[in-house]
Amino acid sequence: MVDPVASARLAHRALFLGLAILIFFVRLLPLSTMPVVFPGPDLLLCLTLVWVQRRPEYVPAVVVAAVFFIDDLLAVRAPGLWALLVLLGTEFLRSRETGFRDLPFLLEWAVTSLVIVVIAIANRLVLALFVVPQTGLGLTLMQVLATIAAYPVVVFVSHFAFGLRKAATGEVDALGHRL
Amino acid sequence: MARDRNAEYNYQRPVRRILISVLAVFLLAIFLVWRIDSPRVERFRAAFIDRVVPSFDWALVPVTKLVGIVEGFQSYARIVEQNQELRRELQRMKAWKEAAVQLEQQNAKLLAQNQVRLDPKLTSVSGVVLADSGSPFRQSVLLNVGARDGIVDGWATMDGLGLVGRISGVGETTARVILLTDASSRIPVTIQPSGQRAMLMGDNTAFPPVEFLEAPEQVRPGDRVISSGDGGVFPAGLLVGEVERTDGRLKVRLSADYQRLNFLRVLRSRPAEEISEAGGLVVAPAAASATGEAVAPEAPVTAGAENGAGDG
Repeated sequence: MVDPVASARLAHRALFLGLAILIFFVRLLPLSTMPVVFPGPDLLLCLTLVWVQRRPEYVPAVVVAAVFFIDDLLAVRAPGLWALLVLLGTEFLRSRETGFRDLPFLLEWAVTSLVIVVIAIANRLVLALFVVPQTGLGLTLMQVLATIAAYPVVVFVSHFAFGLRKAATGEVDALGHRL
Repeated sequence: MARDRNAEYNYQRPVRRILISVLAVFLLAIFLVWRIDSPRVERFRAAFIDRVVPSFDWALVPVTKLVGIVEGFQSYARIVEQNQELRRELQRMKAWKEAAVQLEQQNAKLLAQNQVRLDPKLTSVSGVVLADSGSPFRQSVLLNVGARDGIVDGWATMDGLGLVGRISGVGETTARVILLTDASSRIPVTIQPSGQRAMLMGDNTAFPPVEFLEAPEQVRPGDRVISSGDGGVFPAGLLVGEVERTDGRLKVRLSADYQRLNFLRVLRSRPAEEISEAGGLVVAPAAASATGEAVAPEAPVTAGAENGAGDG
């Protein structure tokens, strides 16, 4: 009764959650409490965008919202806002997944970069609108650039380590519907 | 290209769209509630972190220790020079220790002569750093002491050397310390020896600037910065750091060892006693009324005289 397609989907969902927990864990390690000059990429965002464009069914919207809401709580951000923006960003990419499937990688990268930039700018704008104190623009910009730069690396790792490929023509989901 | 599965189950898309909208509205509502009633949501956040982070504890501690060991091995390479450096430093410190002991005795004598009553000694709760903020935009650490240990929001936190930050967010077994380097940290300080009051404004850099100084020219690099106790948030006289001047701005090199925040002391501060009412007039029944009448008519006269002088 174990359907290989369904079990792969379940395994990948669990894998995504596991990776998210691993990222939370590494971030929480109190290795250095000095203020950083160069913030690293937002790996969680990167991972989510990669997976949504490869296999949207592995990262359902509820999981995205929950993971990023927890991220908001842990990272002492305004709760809900970042999660909302990421949810909207992933929904945008998800709805165009079938259309974008045949794009060359560079174009996909450009579209994703645009989404990342829009999310970051929208975040700052909304925070400014609600008069929430923010840190300098420089840090945000550097993190956006680092996240965009990390995107191909995450694609590469997802492809070879986790076997995450775009759906091929004629693949079917658990119920036999075409992807 | 286009999906023909739309034809197969058309109902799925609208349902999905509604679900996504509900999710989005829910998240937006949380954000709005946070903006409107921040303390309640922050309490929820503290409770959540209180549940989640200690469950990582079994792994956080070994990994942190392991990285510490690796870094320790790296420093073996320069252990000889470090040793010599430490010896030299120790020699200097011995001289300072002598001076400090003498000064302490002298201070005690002078205080006894003046009959000064100092603050009651501050007691403290010690805690271990569990985790940091997990974001490059916030500077905070999580301690393994919380409401269970009597920690209260706003208490000062020190390491062995100087002030580290203040408690902001208390869970049952954890408490968050906002570091002095965080962009939301504002601490009233006094700069010695000139005795000027200022604010230490955290700005996400290792050297937070000092602002609102009345006379910046009286401050020199190397001056000591201590907490002033203004506003009743912090106890006065805690060492914060040293003034430094970099590209024309006054900044503070913090005394606390921010590279290695491990054990922190949370100072129990009692709220300062407030003097709520003006002292009642102490009036001797008969004599006072007489002098009162005698003094009152005089006041307008002196005021008039001053005005006249001002006009002339």
